[in-house]
Amino acid sequence: MKIRKAIITAAGKNQRALPLQMLVDRDGVPKSALTILAEEITGAGIEEIAVIISPGTEKSYMASAGPYAREMQFIVQPKPLGYGHAIHCAAEFTGNEGFLLMMGDHLHISQTGKSCAQQLIETARSGNCAVSAVQATHERMLPYYGCVGGHRVPGHERLYEVEAVIEKPTPTEAEQKLVVPGLRAGRYLCFFGLHVLTPAIMKILGRHLAAPPVAGNTGLSSALAELLLSERYLAHELEGSRHDIGQRYGLLNAQLALALIGKDRDEVLTQLIELLAQSKA
Amino acid sequence: MSRLLPLITSSDVAVRDQSLDAVCAHLSAADLLAEAAALDAFRRASDNLYARVRALLFLHAIHRFHLPVRLATHTTTAAIPFSGYENLLQRRFEEAIDVFLTSQQTAGPSDAISSALAAAYHRLAFQTLADQVRRSVRSVRGNQWMFRMGHPADHPLRIRPELLERDSASGTYPILRERTPVRMDLTHCGWSDIFFLGMDYPEGAKVLNVSIDLAVYGGDAAPRPPVEASFRVIDEPVLRLTSVDLGCTAEISSLNEVFDFAKDYLGLLKAAVIASGLVPPGIEGSGQSLGDLLAEVVGPGRGIELVSNVNNIPKGSRLAVSTNLLAALISACMRATNQARSLTGGLAESERRIVLARALLGEWLGGSGGGWQDSGGVWPGIKLIEGALAMEGDPEFGISRGRLMPSHRLLDVNEVPVAARKRLQDSLVLVHGGMAQNVGPILEMVTEKYLLRCDKEWQARQQTHGILQRILEALKTGDIQALGAATSENFQQPIQTIIPWASNLYTETLITKVRAEFGADFWGFWMLGGMAGGGMGFIFAPQRMHEGRRRLLEIMTETKRTLECALPFAMAPVVYDFSINERGTWSDLLVGAEALMPAGYYSLSIPPLLRLPRNQLAAHHLTELNHFAVACRSHPHLSGAVEALFDSILPGGPVESANEESLALLLDEFGFDPETHEQIRADLKVGRLGLAQNRLPANAVIEDVLAGDLFDATQPASLPASLHQIGLNALCAGEVAVVTLAAGAGSRWTQGAGVVKALHPFCKLGGRHRSFIETHLAKSRQLNRLVGTPLPHVFTTSYFSHAATERFLADHGNYGYQGPLLLSVGKSIGLRLIPTVRDLRFAWEEMPQQMLDVQQQKVRDSLRSALLQWAQTHGEAGDYTANLAAQCLHPVGHWYEIPNLLRNGTLAKLLEQRPQLQHLVMHNIDTVGMTVDPALLGQHIASGAGLTFEVITRRLEDRGGGLARVDGRLRLVEGLAMPREQDEFNLSYYNSNTCWIHIDQLLATFKLSRADLNDLEKVNRAIRKVAARMPTYITLKEVKKRWGRGQEDVFPVCQFEKLWVDMSSHSGLDTRYIAVPRARGQQLKDQAQLDGWLRDGSAAHLESLCEWT
Repeated sequence: MKIRKAIITAAGKNQRALPLQMLVDRDGVPKSALTILAEEITGAGIEEIAVIISPGTEKSYMASAGPYAREMQFIVQPKPLGYGHAIHCAAEFTGNEGFLLMMGDHLHISQTGKSCAQQLIETARSGNCAVSAVQATHERMLPYYGCVGGHRVPGHERLYEVEAVIEKPTPTEAEQKLVVPGLRAGRYLCFFGLHVLTPAIMKILGRHLAAPPVAGNTGLSSALAELLLSERYLAHELEGSRHDIGQRYGLLNAQLALALIGKDRDEVLTQLIELLAQSKA
Repeated sequence: MSRLLPLITSSDVAVRDQSLDAVCAHLSAADLLAEAAALDAFRRASDNLYARVRALLFLHAIHRFHLPVRLATHTTTAAIPFSGYENLLQRRFEEAIDVFLTSQQTAGPSDAISSALAAAYHRLAFQTLADQVRRSVRSVRGNQWMFRMGHPADHPLRIRPELLERDSASGTYPILRERTPVRMDLTHCGWSDIFFLGMDYPEGAKVLNVSIDLAVYGGDAAPRPPVEASFRVIDEPVLRLTSVDLGCTAEISSLNEVFDFAKDYLGLLKAAVIASGLVPPGIEGSGQSLGDLLAEVVGPGRGIELVSNVNNIPKGSRLAVSTNLLAALISACMRATNQARSLTGGLAESERRIVLARALLGEWLGGSGGGWQDSGGVWPGIKLIEGALAMEGDPEFGISRGRLMPSHRLLDVNEVPVAARKRLQDSLVLVHGGMAQNVGPILEMVTEKYLLRCDKEWQARQQTHGILQRILEALKTGDIQALGAATSENFQQPIQTIIPWASNLYTETLITKVRAEFGADFWGFWMLGGMAGGGMGFIFAPQRMHEGRRRLLEIMTETKRTLECALPFAMAPVVYDFSINERGTWSDLLVGAEALMPAGYYSLSIPPLLRLPRNQLAAHHLTELNHFAVACRSHPHLSGAVEALFDSILPGGPVESANEESLALLLDEFGFDPETHEQIRADLKVGRLGLAQNRLPANAVIEDVLAGDLFDATQPASLPASLHQIGLNALCAGEVAVVTLAAGAGSRWTQGAGVVKALHPFCKLGGRHRSFIETHLAKSRQLNRLVGTPLPHVFTTSYFSHAATERFLADHGNYGYQGPLLLSVGKSIGLRLIPTVRDLRFAWEEMPQQMLDVQQQKVRDSLRSALLQWAQTHGEAGDYTANLAAQCLHPVGHWYEIPNLLRNGTLAKLLEQRPQLQHLVMHNIDTVGMTVDPALLGQHIASGAGLTFEVITRRLEDRGGGLARVDGRLRLVEGLAMPREQDEFNLSYYNSNTCWIHIDQLLATFKLSRADLNDLEKVNRAIRKVAARMPTYITLKEVKKRWGRGQEDVFPVCQFEKLWVDMSSHSGLDTRYIAVPRARGQQLKDQAQLDGWLRDGSAAHLESLCEWT
């Protein structure tokens, strides 16, 4: 499967300014979150990027895109009609091609030489199918994420054949439908904010959006649940970590994680220890 | 090579299904001991749960039924090691078994040790099964996460946003109302819905389960779902729980209170809150805050209100009301927290199954237990519920053959057409007979018999499968007459073959009367649930159904009136209107003006608000008051609510004062001694009397009897013929009379229900139910025929039993007894007292206690702390008057029964009729194997004794004292008087309380002569003098207080007693002892004993002694 295009969603109500936040990257260079994402995407061989934004934010995004502004096009989601709708706004952009989907408020930090996006794209190419990045997550976080159930692909420690997708399941439902053999009790494979999807997903989303609204049927998860009925669909537990910069202290966490794998690690560690020593309990 | 092991391990079903009894019948004592050793080794090594359990029950059966018969030919007395008993009480069954086996090895096999081993194996078997069910309940997918969650920050559930949207006009939150039908069971296939059976024999576990709406005939307008749960968000960070039907409400602000099940009547609601995951079980004891948890789930500053309501359906209906209410509550909580896809309407199949799993969990948490079909009301219409084989991936796979949860197959209108459903409704009359029932022992008996493959019972179980098919077929074709024939056959044959105690005299009388009145138009009887007498069905030809419904209420009421002194009734009989509910559990979201709780709720919630000054009412209180004020003017749902509210605020009273009057009358009539009463109260308060003070001094030396201390009559065949002749001569000469102690309420027999035990039709003998009185008369009748002189028979009575016994004997023409038959009316009575906290603590903390299973123990501890609170707040040693008059009084111990004969003129009358009378034989009403045995009488006469007590060799269950040498002196010691618990375990003999009395020697002890019996004052003085020398024991008895619709509370109350056994230490009387066979001396104290009593041949032995009319 050829993957040349990527979508970054950044039109969510509480998400709009997040990609514009500045961080210091692993090389000690200040950059916007959007730039860091674009670096990861282009580093994985993606040629074109579409950023889904809310009306009136195009200029500030353009300014934050830095050297990647050329590869980017900004698509406005006219009304906040949900995550599925936001993705579908890029249906024309992706056309009949597979694409990488990222969230503008999530940064991914790889623990290997390959970026998270690259790991995922390679899996999609070799499997020739849709793949979602997942992370084993404690059940207390279930109210916040989409979640998949399935079984390990024989011979692949981190790869799963997906059999069910449920958006924000209760632990009751998760235990019944999403238990994955081999995971620790009370842990489920939750979305990592990173997917490689086939063109079929746009058709499904389109169909869902055209139909009368049904509870739980306007997001990506319900479309993925339908996708797996007709196509192979994998989940990849990436070697990396996910940082939601929209959460409380999320930006700080992401910054620390970046710094601790970068060239300024010693300096940041020293500062942290000094802070610890000075702080009163 | 063991002959029994293949019954467990063979892969051949024919071998595995062989009856244990049949194989054991050919084995000698030595063979059985060898088999027992092999089984014990096997069960220790086996890793298969059901193989272990079967081996344990085999071992129980060998030691309970087979070895004792073989060991009976030689008397062996052996002490049961106290340490083993202690282990049993602590539920350390394995250690207990080891102690008993060691004792068996060193002292040789004995009846006593076998009784201890039988008990230990039995309890271990059921503990193993219960543990497995509980493990399965926890491991059901969807339940597991709740046991992992230990901190509010980890709580993964969130309230649905719809429930947080206030109505803009009224300011109220919406109410989620779940309404659920109950279930009736057309055939339980031999109690096959017991979890243990379903999990071992899924092929045999089948029930036809119908969801129904109910209305009380003559009361309610139309059938509706009988149970409902209401859920809403509130503006306080608490959990507010209300049970409208039980009239109880509480605001809970700490997690510990949520897990305190028996503190109030809200245990079921608490279990639902926990089992639904709102307050997951894993958080118990975590020390976290309920407010924090609610903040995670509902939002900061908010809480949850949960209200339960049962529409006029009494407890014990056998329609699984409480399980379906639990399911309704769980369902509402699950919907509210997104655990069901739809907030309103019905549930999806997968959701119903999780509600079932949660209801099982809730029942376990609450320390109760039901069958696996009980949540059937959650499903719609008619369904076939069947056991399911455990498959790979199921938590039960590899552990049990079947899954914990059965599968439900809905029978749609193609299978059971609408017309057939209507025909069923047009013919069936559902009733609650009113009897209080304890089904628990029955379920254990069923499980045991199944695992032992007892021959007849196993055949009967197979028969039930055929009957189920016939019922199913009849339903499909709408042939209700055939259905009635099948349910009748089910009840008359397999059900009673498996468990004879499923029926009772009340039920059979009803059936007989209905059949007599309706003839061929009475199509059949049908037992609902575990046993008959409560929920039952009568099937009529449709043209006479309405008449049947009307007449049944009259027939039940009139039959109850004649039997209520003999059988435990919890309430007046009820007839229901019913209709099949085709929706199952159903939920609605009530918004704005419609957001109303059940009408009865407001009588509980509004008065506390009205008592507050307006400036202390929070905004949400005012909202609630305004909402109610508007609704009760305009909403039909609340018509009559204002009157009900007034009733709840204004004081009532006529009922209480009527009770006080009847209590005063009874006290006056039956010889209440206020002086003694006040003295006892004062002694209790200062600690001169009490449970601890019952005991002999700690330095008393209690030793077992020596050889020669008693006459051994345990082998009747070896007794000298001369003794038999002496006795026979005395009988022929009319020198003997029987005194049966029949004044008691049989507290253990009916758990404090307050029936006359003597009149209780305890067993089918000679083809029909017989009471204890009738049985004793039947034995005397046989003897009369033998000796030719009718034996005078005296039954002692009390305030409580006299009128009923008199009426019963009159109604039954003295059961055709030809000899003199007298009632000796009690002339002493006591008034029960509220116990002291000291005595309650002594009973619960100092005395050996049977520890319960973990969860049940928690519930018991919680209940006990509530009862301690009750004793404190109601005044320790205060008069107990808050119950029916008869439940507030107590007989003052059987010591008084013989003096009563002197006091009330019965002995004088007897002597007048039979001046030659020399001896009395006194015995307990429940010593059913006792007869006026000529040889034993001969021994009593020949020995010249004033008193001869009969004793039996002790078994584990024989607690309550025994024959001992106390500081070297031979006497009977009451269990209450034992200085140390373990002393009793060194005694070989247990007192049967059968006592032969030489009349003149006894009178001499009272310093009376026969002539003095007409001088009542002298008699009273003499009795008072001897009574003063008899010890007074303080005891705690459990009494039931009935309220509401079939609800019962059990209170421990304090009373005093003087006991006849203490006459054995009276210095002026020559007292002797005889050891008699167990079949003669054993007492029936508990209904759970009956099955073993029937199976071990005791019942057959009794039949051989009786001559029925």
